[in-house]
Parts: sequence; C-alpha cells; structure tokens
Amino acid sequence: MDILTSLIGGFAVAMTPLNLALAVFGCFAGTLIGALPGLGPVNGVAILIPVAFAMKLEPGSALIMLSCIYYGCMYGGRISSIMLNIPGDEPAIMTTLDGYPMARKGQAAKALGISAVASFTGATFATLGLTFFAPLLAKAAIHFGPADYFALYVMAFATIGGVTGVNPFKTLLAAVLGLLLASVGLDPATGTARFTFGSYHLYDGFDPIVAIVGLFAVSEIIMYFESHATSGAGPAKLGRALPRLREVFEGFPAALRGSVIGFICGVLPGAGASLGAFVSYSTEKQISDKKGTFGTGDPRGIAAPEAGNNATVGGALIPMLTLGVPGSGTTAVMLALLVSLNIQPGPLLFERQPDIVWGLIAALYLANVVLLLLNVPMVGLFTRLLSLPQWLLMPIVVMVSFIGIYSISHSTFDLFVMIGFGLLGYALRKFEISLVPVVLGLLLGADMENNLRRALSISGGDFGILLQSPIALVIYGFTALMLMFSFGIAMRRRPDPLSD
Amino acid sequence: MIDRIVGAVVFMISASAFWVARGYEAGFGDPLGPAVFPQMVAGAAAILSLGLILRPDPDPAAQSRPAMTRQIATVAVLAGYVLLLEPLGFPLSTTLGTGCLALLFGARPLKAGITGLAVGLSLFVIFDTVLGLPLPFAPALFG
Repeated sequence: MDILTSLIGGFAVAMTPLNLALAVFGCFAGTLIGALPGLGPVNGVAILIPVAFAMKLEPGSALIMLSCIYYGCMYGGRISSIMLNIPGDEPAIMTTLDGYPMARKGQAAKALGISAVASFTGATFATLGLTFFAPLLAKAAIHFGPADYFALYVMAFATIGGVTGVNPFKTLLAAVLGLLLASVGLDPATGTARFTFGSYHLYDGFDPIVAIVGLFAVSEIIMYFESHATSGAGPAKLGRALPRLREVFEGFPAALRGSVIGFICGVLPGAGASLGAFVSYSTEKQISDKKGTFGTGDPRGIAAPEAGNNATVGGALIPMLTLGVPGSGTTAVMLALLVSLNIQPGPLLFERQPDIVWGLIAALYLANVVLLLLNVPMVGLFTRLLSLPQWLLMPIVVMVSFIGIYSISHSTFDLFVMIGFGLLGYALRKFEISLVPVVLGLLLGADMENNLRRALSISGGDFGILLQSPIALVIYGFTALMLMFSFGIAMRRRPDPLSD
Repeated sequence: MIDRIVGAVVFMISASAFWVARGYEAGFGDPLGPAVFPQMVAGAAAILSLGLILRPDPDPAAQSRPAMTRQIATVAVLAGYVLLLEPLGFPLSTTLGTGCLALLFGARPLKAGITGLAVGLSLFVIFDTVLGLPLPFAPALFG
C-alpha cells in the first residue's frame, strides 16, 4: 500500500496553513477566471505564473496554487455557459447546449447545482485515477531510454492536434515553429550561438513564460476587439439561490459515464478537455436521449459534458507528471512553470521529490471539496461578477501580466519580446493555427534535442538506434495511426462541431 | 489565399533557417552537433509549409476597420507603456497605461482616469510594498 502511505504524506504537505490558503485562493481565482468569457484556464495559469514567482513560493506551493486555478477554471467555465450562453472557456461550449435552455426556463439554480455536482464527480474520479495510474506509469517509464523519449516527443507533437478536425498541416507546422523558436540561443552542449543575430539578449533563448503570456494573454487582448464586439444579452435570472438536493443528483449516472470518458480523453495525447466534453455529451445523448429532450434543457445534457471536461484535468496531469509530456494546453503551461523552478517532471520525480507530487495530488482532493463548497452557495456572487464591465477587467489583466513578467527579469527587453509574441499569437490565431503546439515545441525542444544527442552518442552517430527499441517502435506505430486518422478526418472535411 | 501567403513566408523562413544553421560547427565528441537538429526542424517546417500552399483553407473573416484601429492603438499603448515604464516609474506609467486601455475598451474618460489611478497605485502597493518586489517608483523625478 505504497500509494496510500504516500498520499497520507501528501496530505501532510497540503494541509500546511500556507498551502491550504493558496489552494483556497487558487480555487476562488480559478472559478472567477473560468467564469469570465474569454479568459480560459491557459490564460489564467499563464498570467499567474509570474505572480507565483513574485511571491517567492516554494515549488510545491506554486504548483498547488496553479493546479487549483486550473481545477477552478474548469468549474467556473460552466457559469457563463449557463447564465449567458457564452462559454467561459472552450471546453464549456457543450454545456451551453442544455444549460442555457434550462436557465431560460427559470431553472438556472438547478442547472448550476447539477453542473457543480457533475464537475465534482468528474474531477474527483480523475484525481483518483491520477493517484493510482500515475505511479504505475512512472514505474514503467523508468525503462525508457533516450531513443524512446525522442519517439515520445515525436508522438506528442504529431498527435497534439489530435482528432479535432483542424487542418493537420497547420497543427504540425505550429509544433515545428515552436521547435525552431526553441533552438534560438546558446546550444547547451556546444555553446554555439544559434539564430541570435548577434544580440546578447537572445543568448538565453526565449523564456517560455514570457512567450506563453505573450502568445495567450496579449494576443487575447488584441483579439478581443474582433470576437467580443457583440455581447448584448444580459444574464438569465438566477431564481432561487440554492437548488433542492434531490434535483442536484438527477444527472448523477450521466456524470459518472462522463467522468470515465473525460478521464480517458485527458490521458490520451492530443485529446484534451474540449474533446472530453464533446465525446461525453454525444455518448450521453446516444444512451439517454430517448424522448428528444437533449438540447432543450435536459439535466443529463449538462451533467455529462461537465463531468467530462473536469475529468480530463486529472487525466492530462498523468503524462505531464510521469513523462514530462503534457497532454493539454494548460498542462503545457504548468510544465513551463516546473521547468522554470528547476523541477524536471518525469518518472524520477516520483522517487526524488515525492513531497511535490503527492502534495499536489492531495491538494487536488482538497481543491475539489473547496470548489464544491465555493460553487454551490457562492454561485450568486460569481454570477454578479460576470456583469463587471470589460473595460475594468481587461486592463487589470494586462497590467498584472506585464508586472509579472517584469518582476521575473527586470528587463524591458522581455516585455517587448512578450508584445512580439502577442502579435505572433494574434497572427497565428487569425490564420487558424493552434497556439498550444507552438508552446509545446518551445518547451520541449531542448529536451528533444538532448535525447537525440544522447541516443546518438550511445550509437556513435548511427541514426538506426532510434528504431531499435521496441518501446520506440510501438510509440511510432501509434503515432502513425493517429496521424493517418487525423489526416483522414481532415480530408473528408466533415463539418466539425468543436471549431466555431 | 492567405494560407498560401503564410505558407510561402514560412517556407522562406525555414529555408533561410536551414541555410543559417549549416554554418554551426560540430563540437568534439558530440556526434550530432549543433546544426543537425535545427536543420531537421527547419526541413520539416519547409515541407509542411508546402502542404499549406497546396491545400489552403478558406480565408478567415476580415475584421472591421474600427476593430483594427483599436487593435493598432492597443499595441501602441502597450509598447509606449514599456518604453515609459523605467523613465516615468511604475505608478505613473501604469496609471497612464491602464487609463488608455480602459478608454480603448469603451470606458468614459472620467471612469478610465479613476480606473487608471486605482490600478496604478494598488498594483504598486501590492507588488512593491506587500510582496517586496522592487519596482521603479519615479526615477525621472527623484533620480
């Protein structure tokens, strides 16, 4: 019962007053960020990473705060979906389908209650999954050699676009652009300056955190003027603040099914929360929609996708923590945090820094309880915050991101780099090129090259070593399969429900 | 059409990256050398950009002119803020920057001014005084 002992140790870490306070703060801030239209989990975590640095938190505490923000965002996304018919973040799109109709029928409180319980069910299920599967995967991953890791990175990049139906050329291109950006700076092995064009500022390469805040937060601000031009509809009436207990559990079986589906989608590379919510909703529709009530305010149509998108979070943390290969945008951003704190995620993390891993996992259990307690009675407060004017919120978001980045390096050069990445991010979004692979490339580029180097120095320069290990071959096989699948979908060009 | 242009631009960038990387010398005892990985990546980027040229997506919607003006103004405010941050100090430049952004996001001038002042001062207090991060206060005035 190793796992149980470790988990108890984790609770000892997570229950310190500071960590507990950070978890509560993270849950609150996360719910708020998730609820505000436009600011999703990636933005929330990206903006608050520099703040975590500024507060000089221990690595474990910083990770606890940011994971709670991630969990909180996933809870919060549903609030504006239900009340405004505007998803607070991308994965909450499916929740608008039945959530808003319910709110229009005067059952907003019931819809919010059901979705809070469904979120709790999904997130708790996935945290349990994380607790039991992550150590197993970490044990298996110890046998991975450099060639296998190289294969793993190839898989991460090739499958990140996954089966979302976006033009696969663009997703792959985004990944290699990120890798190219990663090679800017001094080559760690030989000290050669690469693509620095004689500027000393570029010798350290691009700081992933500067790049991330630029790509996501700054580009979001520029994008705002196009996407939010029309948001006139006021929120639906909340009605009675507390729903009846019996009503809240109406969607429970649907939530359980959604949890399983979401968890699997989270673990798989390239799937992520949006797909988790989408598959949960459509599966639930096939199973339970006997009377054609889905889409008109069926409670099960809220429970399934909410459980699904929350369950992906715990799932997505598994490959990030055990292999160092994130499965979603937000976990990519969290990886950037770990790398900046000099923590190398991977199988050895579980052996060498059990405090961090198990403290995090324990904090996630606590976060779920805190979020449920926050979200049921305080939902009225969050709903009111939704009507805060954008001219107040947006400038604050901008200023907090600038001050955060400035506090890391005290260099205005970094701030200009950040604005530059903001423009790049805007351009890429405009061309419908996804940003997450760019970040992933930038983050993992150095490690990918290192593993390639290590593999080739074992073999004395023979590239054949990359194909000799059975683990690598299995990974390449899976990658090829996924690629064929995503190109197949793209060629058929079916209308895709996830893209807007 | 835009996709084809993007594809062509990316192709040129990756081709020149490939060309530039060719000059990086291999170190002793490092079979891979600093050039191979960037060249692999640049090569892949070049091939993928051909895919974009050959199979472009339909063009995205063009934004309206007022939206574009505001976008350009926002970027100008951000760049101006960074330029003024160290000369003017944090509280003053943040007040100006926040106020201008609030105006761009549709606030009335008075409200924008109050927001700017409140955000500039409170962020300074939170980060400099409470969290202990030294931020420039007003170098232009007090040296």
